[in-house]
Amino acid sequence: MLLLLPQALLDGIMIGGVYITIAIGFSLAFGVMHIIDLAVGEWIMLGAFLGFYLNQWTNLEPFLFLPVVFFVFGIIGYYLQPVLFRVLSGKKGNPLLMGLVFTFGLALIFKGTGLTIFGFYSHSIPSILSTSSFSIEMGNLYLTIPSIRLVGLAYAFIITIMLQYLLKKSNFGLAVRALAQNREASGLMGINPKRTSSYVYAIYVGISAMTGVLIGNIFSLSAQMGAKYTVFSFFVVVLAGMGYLSGVPWAAFLLGLIQSFFLIYFNPGYTLIAVFVILYVVLLISPKGLFGKGW
Amino acid sequence: MSEPIIRIDSVTKTFGGLHAVDQVSFQIDQGEIIGLIGPNGAGKTTLFNIISGYYTPTRGHVYFMGKDISGQPPYRLATKGIGRTFQVVKPFPGLSVLDNVVIASLSRYPKRRKAEEHAWEVMEFTGIVDRAHFLAGSLTLAGRKRLEITKAMALEPILVLLDEVVAGLNPKEVDQTIELILKIRDQEKTILIVEHIMRVIMNLSDRVVVLNFGSKIAEGKPKEVANDPAVIKAYLGEEKDKA
Amino acid sequence: MRRRNILWFTIIFVALLLLPIIFSDPFSLRIATEALMWIGLAISWDVIGGYTGRVNFGHGAFFGIGAYVTGILMMKGGWAFPITVPIAGLTAGLIALIVGFPTLRLTGAYFAIAMWSLALAFQQLVLLMTITGGPDGMRLPAFLNPEFFFYLMLGIVSISFVSLWYLMECASFGLKVRSIREDESGAMALGMNPTKIKIQAFVLSAIPAGLIGGIYAYWISYIDPASVFGDIITDQAIVMTIFGGMGTLIGPTIGAVILFAFKTLFWAYLSDYEVLYLIILGAVIALTVFFLPNGIWGTLSAYLDSRKIKKFGEVISQSTGDDNEYV
Repeated sequence: MLLLLPQALLDGIMIGGVYITIAIGFSLAFGVMHIIDLAVGEWIMLGAFLGFYLNQWTNLEPFLFLPVVFFVFGIIGYYLQPVLFRVLSGKKGNPLLMGLVFTFGLALIFKGTGLTIFGFYSHSIPSILSTSSFSIEMGNLYLTIPSIRLVGLAYAFIITIMLQYLLKKSNFGLAVRALAQNREASGLMGINPKRTSSYVYAIYVGISAMTGVLIGNIFSLSAQMGAKYTVFSFFVVVLAGMGYLSGVPWAAFLLGLIQSFFLIYFNPGYTLIAVFVILYVVLLISPKGLFGKGW
Repeated sequence: MSEPIIRIDSVTKTFGGLHAVDQVSFQIDQGEIIGLIGPNGAGKTTLFNIISGYYTPTRGHVYFMGKDISGQPPYRLATKGIGRTFQVVKPFPGLSVLDNVVIASLSRYPKRRKAEEHAWEVMEFTGIVDRAHFLAGSLTLAGRKRLEITKAMALEPILVLLDEVVAGLNPKEVDQTIELILKIRDQEKTILIVEHIMRVIMNLSDRVVVLNFGSKIAEGKPKEVANDPAVIKAYLGEEKDKA
Repeated sequence: MRRRNILWFTIIFVALLLLPIIFSDPFSLRIATEALMWIGLAISWDVIGGYTGRVNFGHGAFFGIGAYVTGILMMKGGWAFPITVPIAGLTAGLIALIVGFPTLRLTGAYFAIAMWSLALAFQQLVLLMTITGGPDGMRLPAFLNPEFFFYLMLGIVSISFVSLWYLMECASFGLKVRSIREDESGAMALGMNPTKIKIQAFVLSAIPAGLIGGIYAYWISYIDPASVFGDIITDQAIVMTIFGGMGTLIGPTIGAVILFAFKTLFWAYLSDYEVLYLIILGAVIALTVFFLPNGIWGTLSAYLDSRKIKKFGEVISQSTGDDNEYV
């Protein structure tokens, strides 16, 4: 049994890689717009299906579609953002609450649309790398690294680095960080808050959808997958600490580890139960995340 | 001499490296009106938050009627007899003025009917009874500040903390509020008041405490404090710095 | 005001009591029973969602818990149905207490997602456990008596409605809950412990859902993870309440009736398009939030109130000569 442990650990890290990108995008949207998007899982689902169909129609490698999916959903996000903003800055009722409910409504619409168009079936996006894998032998240890998962990890790495660069080194990134701190003052400094927010939201939706393609590749996709990934995204963000981007990789890997453990040792169904229990304990003991630096 | 109502004993509050309140000590006796003044950022509201339970002192203690209340939550202190207003008023905007006050009265009169009766009495006392059925969110600033005081009074407090209750009001409204504060004092309440408008503080207060950069720099009768060079310097700056 | 409400309650209640005489066929009774069920689920959601201002995306979990408690106690324990129902309700309340404690002291988003996570976790749990029958669910003894279940549901929902009306509209609890929703830190200065009150409201919202779930199990005689722990239950309760008007009891009731009527008609004509219903639900909620945040009843009653206050305000200003402070 213990022989499987290293493999489980490795799998966990590779799975976790993908969760990093979702959580980073999500955290970003939260930091700038203070929006908690309950539709995040649905963006992933929609992106996965776009990738799936593109692959079906063209028979090209799904990895080639990543930019396409990013673009398509980026545009959707860009134009959706003002609507969200309207809801969040409303005078009546509690705007944050209304924002939550509104994104929930969007999630319902997307899920219903997904089920209507795609049906209840599960699919998987095939790729050249689907069946290939590396093997490592170290003494008694025999580890298999499916290439796909390695790609997933590389993807997460690249996206993270790109976002880091964008945020820290570019003018746009400066605008974003200013906006996250103080919206009004940013406006006075010549930053266009509406446009910048739109871009941020576009990036977040684009990344989520793009990651969906990978998830469809590594795992599977179905019209009902959204809820699970929304909870996962939240899990990672809460454990990392809301708004605390540096904690995201750790929390993402933890989730990956949980998932791979249950996959290998027990029943994958337990993953969601474990997620809830850990979430509960964290909220009980350290609501600001594992590192205590959350919002 | 009986126990002071409030005794602040070397209270310090730090946020990260910032000493918002730095070893402040003073006491207030029953029935006094104490003015708390100082330039912006001197730590007055922080001190209020400490006394009313919103902050815990980093060091030092607060004694209310002889008992240590440092770090107790606001709702417990409210029932013990500390009532406060907020600098940025906190009405319950979606509820009526009456309901706002009833909620405060519930702390003393748990049954709704009795609480309502009491609320009417308090609103009569503070002069807001004509607006009882208005939505709190629809009141003017003066109305909201009046409501704020009404709610604090509905707690039947022993100590009343007033945080800039006349800021932003026109002169007539300021005078009306001063009248109200004197009425409150006549009810044998003890009052700690923060204010920037000097004539209000100097006319109302028995004694004045002056803070600057978190520390107490002066304490005494209004006239004494007004002539204290340290106080003048804090507000106006060094003479030789002026070009 | 209170006497007028009591009159309305009595009229409607008596009308409902007499309903089976006019609509005695099983199909109509089933529809009526289900309509009542949704009213119960919507008003109980509103206690924590609208009154307290904490959106709960896992309300259906309490319904499912109630259903499975009845199912397990009856099938594996041999208990009689009447005893299982209160236990179903109390179990739901207990779970609410446990889950509410760490999550309600934080901002609303944490609570929302924790509850969503709870609902999913419970669905997985009953899927995996053998005592719950796993994916095949549980079959309860068939007791085909539509009138019995109609009256039972009417009874439970009416008791819930009246109790909630008393607690949230007449007694002091409702005022306290609303003050916490309006301004939590301001409420603390007035003697209220926000976390304690929020937890109380949460438990109060869970119990009716649990009771209704217990009844559902015996009524439909079959439960499985998808039907009682599916998110469609939470989704509908939320949409009904928001569409009808959060923060009241009449709002969710109206919303439940309208949406349920719509769904029933919809089903009759377009039974192939179940999933289209999800889209409609989502659209209703999105549009309501955008255009009518107070829901139908909320908007209507606010309009009526404003006319009342305007009149009141004009009368007052004429008599005292003060500036009219109501803008």
